[in-house]
This record gives sequence, structure tokens and C-alpha cells, in this order.
Amino acid sequence: MTSPSASLRGRMTLLVVAMTGVVWVCASIAMWMDTRHELDELLDAHLSQAASFLVIRQGGEDEESEHGRGATLHPYAPRVAFQVLHGTELIAKSPDAPATPLTELAAGFGNVTIAGVPWRTFTASNDERAGRVIVAEQVASRTAIARAVLRGILWPMLLAMPLLAGAMAWSIRRGLRPLTQLGSALASRSPTALDAILVERAPSEMIPMLDALNGLFARIGNLLDAERRFTADAAHELRTPIAGIRAQAQAAMTVLDGEARRHALRATVEGCDRAARLIDQLLLLARLESGVMPEFTPLDLCSLARQVLADATPVALAKRQSLEFVAPDRLEVRGSAALLQALIRNLVDNAIRYSPRGARICVTALQEEGRSVLVVEDGGPGLNETQRRRLGDRFYRGAGTQQAGSGLGWSIVRRVAELHRMVVEVDQSPALHGLRIRLRCPS
Amino acid sequence: MRILLAEDDKLLGDGLRAGLRGLGFQVDWVRDGVAAERELRAQAHAAVVLDLGLPHRDGLEVLSTLRREGHAIPVLVLTARDAIGERIRGLDSGADDYVVKPVDLHELAARLRALVRRAHGQPRDRLQSRGLALDPAARRVERDGHPVALSAREFDLLHALMLNVGRVLSREQLEQHLYSWGREVDSNAIEVHVHHLRRKLGPRTIQTVRGIGYVMPVDPAVA
Repeated sequence: MTSPSASLRGRMTLLVVAMTGVVWVCASIAMWMDTRHELDELLDAHLSQAASFLVIRQGGEDEESEHGRGATLHPYAPRVAFQVLHGTELIAKSPDAPATPLTELAAGFGNVTIAGVPWRTFTASNDERAGRVIVAEQVASRTAIARAVLRGILWPMLLAMPLLAGAMAWSIRRGLRPLTQLGSALASRSPTALDAILVERAPSEMIPMLDALNGLFARIGNLLDAERRFTADAAHELRTPIAGIRAQAQAAMTVLDGEARRHALRATVEGCDRAARLIDQLLLLARLESGVMPEFTPLDLCSLARQVLADATPVALAKRQSLEFVAPDRLEVRGSAALLQALIRNLVDNAIRYSPRGARICVTALQEEGRSVLVVEDGGPGLNETQRRRLGDRFYRGAGTQQAGSGLGWSIVRRVAELHRMVVEVDQSPALHGLRIRLRCPS
Repeated sequence: MRILLAEDDKLLGDGLRAGLRGLGFQVDWVRDGVAAERELRAQAHAAVVLDLGLPHRDGLEVLSTLRREGHAIPVLVLTARDAIGERIRGLDSGADDYVVKPVDLHELAARLRALVRRAHGQPRDRLQSRGLALDPAARRVERDGHPVALSAREFDLLHALMLNVGRVLSREQLEQHLYSWGREVDSNAIEVHVHHLRRKLGPRTIQTVRGIGYVMPVDPAVA
């Protein structure tokens, strides 16, 4: 597409011209052989006829001078010759004929080379006089005729070649016009225009490409829409904690009571933490949705969960909740440690956040039908069918919107599980009566 | 001035309540749509700050229901959604003002005062009647050009009466204006405040309508 030699038009022109050349060469060879064959037959017939004629006229007259004179008058005379022999005695010959017999053959056609010149001979015998008449003709003269015929055809062909190339180039350019149109349509396109491209009278060969291109545009459009929605949602979600921080800070400036001011300042800091957490979650989600596959390594699910639970324990203790972990020593899974930790952390954080004070939260890791399974159960209020269905909608906060959740946790859980081809099941915990989340790893 | 704050976000709700209280408002805070609707039906508030993204019942739903039922309380919508379409929808549903988060506390207070003033047909923020001038923003009262020192309750009581000049307000109504929830109100609190106001502003400033309540008489110069 860049250098002209690599252009489709150049390549096609070259190819067509080369193919035409090859076809022409083959045709010329065939014609050459055919012409030679027909010419040989014709001239051989002439030779034999001339020989017969000489046999009939052979009467011992001295015709040498006569023949000689007549023959030399014609420019082709040196190329033809005859000899009349009686036994081995040469009794008559054309002026250019050698003194020895041209051929030893008793009758029929033959080829001889005399003094480096190839001759075609015909011998007719006269049985009555035990004589032979040999008529000969230089082979070169036959070749010359055949060449002349071929030349007559080859010259126009060679002259036609550039014309043909030009015509080819022009037709190909015409034929490729839809491609050129597509090119300029794409070049003049603004990056935000993602509607389908239309090419007038697009040839059938281009339609799959156009369809693929328009399909790509549609997919990019969807992606951009999702991105835009995400950004808008993110901006809105950040507004609330920022509004909270602002209100608390202004309250701290406005109220005179010392305790109320300290409360407002504490709340301001808390709001900053919340905004920071929201931003972390947003960044994680953005990374997850960028389509870049994280690197997977063999991991121990139990130690990952244990680490997350250790981090979460102080928060649970502050709410007087009991946090239990039931697991074997090791459970091998493949995945990204950072992402799986984020997933487990979100599940555990949610369990802690939405369970009342003093509730039990139980995390279990186990092997089931050859698959590693992680179960997080809580003693919270659980979720009804509608709420469960809306889980994972970005920024949807199920129960207790009083809690400072980002509404992104479930989006992250779903996305990480998807990347790890894990199955997430949500139902009611039979033991704790709250929410139960089962995470089944692929076997 | 007693206002209702309907906001589900803990941090923001808490901050706004504290800030508005600091600026002299009585603030009741509800965190969901159902509670907001219930409180608004009671008509105890001068205005409401309504978040649209409320749980259980959407803020816009609450607003349209309220307007359909004929409640005229000034409504200031506070929301994170700033798209023009959203604003139009909000205002068309009956909002009197539309503020996008984050909002400045002082601006919010000023907007609330303006809403309440307009709801009472007052073109200016400064209320004037019979030689009395009340500035709600500065929380200052002047009598014949001289500043008068009033307690917060006395100021609120005077403000309520001056907003409703010529209209009799019952003791219950005045209590609702003055006290947010959870505050103990003495049965004779209003009488005590009225007594103090009369002492500071002159005995004829507030008239008692026996068995009904109190009224600030119409300024003869205006009427």
C-alpha cells in the first residue's frame, strides 16, 4: 500500500502483462512448429516434383549451361541445386551444385551437410538408365521463410504490449475505484464518527471487508459508549463523597461547638478515605475492562484468602463480628494474585459492611468435584431476587445504602471471576441466613 | 427556619445537617424516600433539600406525588446528576431549585432562604414590618434602625411570624418551625419566647389571638 511497486494496481498490471507474454511465447512456439511443418511438406513436395520433372526430361542433352544461366538469374538460385547421375557418373548439375553426389541415397528424402551447410535432398531414380536425379535445397532457406512468417506476427504483438499494459492499468484503476472511495472515506472520517461506511456500487468482493469494517466500528462504538457511561457514572459517584467532604469541612468552619467541629473534621478525613477507596476501585475496574489479560501464575487460594481475612479482621472486630475461616492447607488455583485478592477482599468487605454488629461471617475454602471452591457467608439481611439480579450493575448499592460502599465491588467481583473463568453463585446461607456467595474455580 | 434534609449519603447528610445548623437552621434528616414523603406530608418544614437518588422511593417520585397532592412546600433538589435533561425533569416534576453536588454550604443556605421568602411572597430577603427589620442571612434584627439582640429561638420565632404577617400561627405550628426532632419542648416555651420578644421589641409587636395562636399585625403603612 505504500510504495507504488507494491500497489495492487502495479502488481495486477505486471502479472497480466507477464501472463500475456508467456501465452504469446507459447503461441509463437506452436506457430513456429506448425509453420515449419507445413513449409517442409510443401517444399518437399516441390523438391520431389522438380526431381520427377528432371527424370522425365533426362535425355542426355547438355543442359548444364542452360540451367546454369536460368538459375543464376534468380537470387535464390544458390540455395537450390540438382545433380543428374548415371550410375556414379555425374552427367549434369546446376552451377552451384558440388561435383560429387549430394547424397548416397538411392531414392527419397534425405538431409546432408556439405561444407557446413545443411541441405534437404530428394533423390529420384530412373531404372531404365540406371540413373539418379538428386534435387537439393538449403535448409536455411526454409528457416528464413518460417522466421519471416513469425516476424510478421511477433512485431504487432510486441508493439501491442505497452498498449495492453496501459489498458490494463486503466481498467484496474477503474475496477478498484470502490477501494479508492473507501480509502478516502476512511481518511476523511472523524475519529468520533462510528456510523457504518457506505460505498456506492461496492463489488461483491468488497462486501465482506465492508461488513467486517462496519462491524468493527459498531463494536468500537459500543466500547466507547460503555467507556463514556463509565466515566459519567464515575464522575457522578465521586461527586457525592466530594460533596460530603465539602459539607463536613464547611460545617467544621461554621460550627462553634468544639465537639461538633471535631466530629466534622473526623468526617472530612473519613470522606477523603472513602473518595480514595472509590478511586482505587475505579482504577482497578478500568484496568479490568481495558481488555489486557493479566498474567496467571499457580497460586494457593487458601493463603490468599487468609491474607485478606487478616487485613479485614480489625474492621470486623470493631463491629464485634466473628470472622471464621475454614480451609485445607492448600488449594491450588491459577490466576492473578492481585486480582483474586481484590475479589476476595470485596466479598469479605461487603459481608462485614452489610452484616449487623455481632454477626457471624464465615469463609470456607474447599475442594469439590475436583474444583476449588470459595464460599463467603454472612449473617446479614441478605438480598431478594431483584436485588440479586442487580448485583454487579455499576454503582448499584443493594441493601443499606447508608453504608459507605462504592457500588463497584460487585462489578469487580464479576469481572475478576470472568477473567478467571470462575462461576459465581449467590443465594441464601442455610447456616447464617444471610447472603452466601460461592465462587467455583474451573477444574 | 426548620427544613427537611432528605439525603441517603451518611457523610454528606451529616455534614449538611451540621453546617446548616451552624448557620441557624433547624434540620431534620431523613435517609430514604418513604421517610421523606411521610415527613413532608406532616407539613412541618419551611423547605426541603431533596436528593434524587434516594433508596426505597426515588426523590423525583416523592416530589411528583407531593405536588400532585397539592403540597406547596419549597423543594430544593440536590443531586449528582447534572445533565440538562435531568435538571429539566427535576424542575418539571415540581422542584423550585436544582443544585448539583458538591454545593457550597452558604450558597445552599442562601438558596433555602430565598425559596422560603418567595414561597411567602416576599420579594426581598430582608423582612420589614412596623419599624422592624429582619435579615435572615445575617440573623440580625433592627428596631427603628437600632440592632436588637435576640436569642436563636427568639429570632426563629420572629422570623416565622414576620414571614406570615397578618396570618395567625398556632402554638403547634410555631413549635414545628422552631424545633427539629429529638428536642424537648416545654409546653410554655413559645409563650416564654413571645414574652421576651414583646419585652425587647414592644408590647404591640405580637398579638395573641386567644385560643388560636399568635399573629404579627399587618403594617398599616403598607396595607
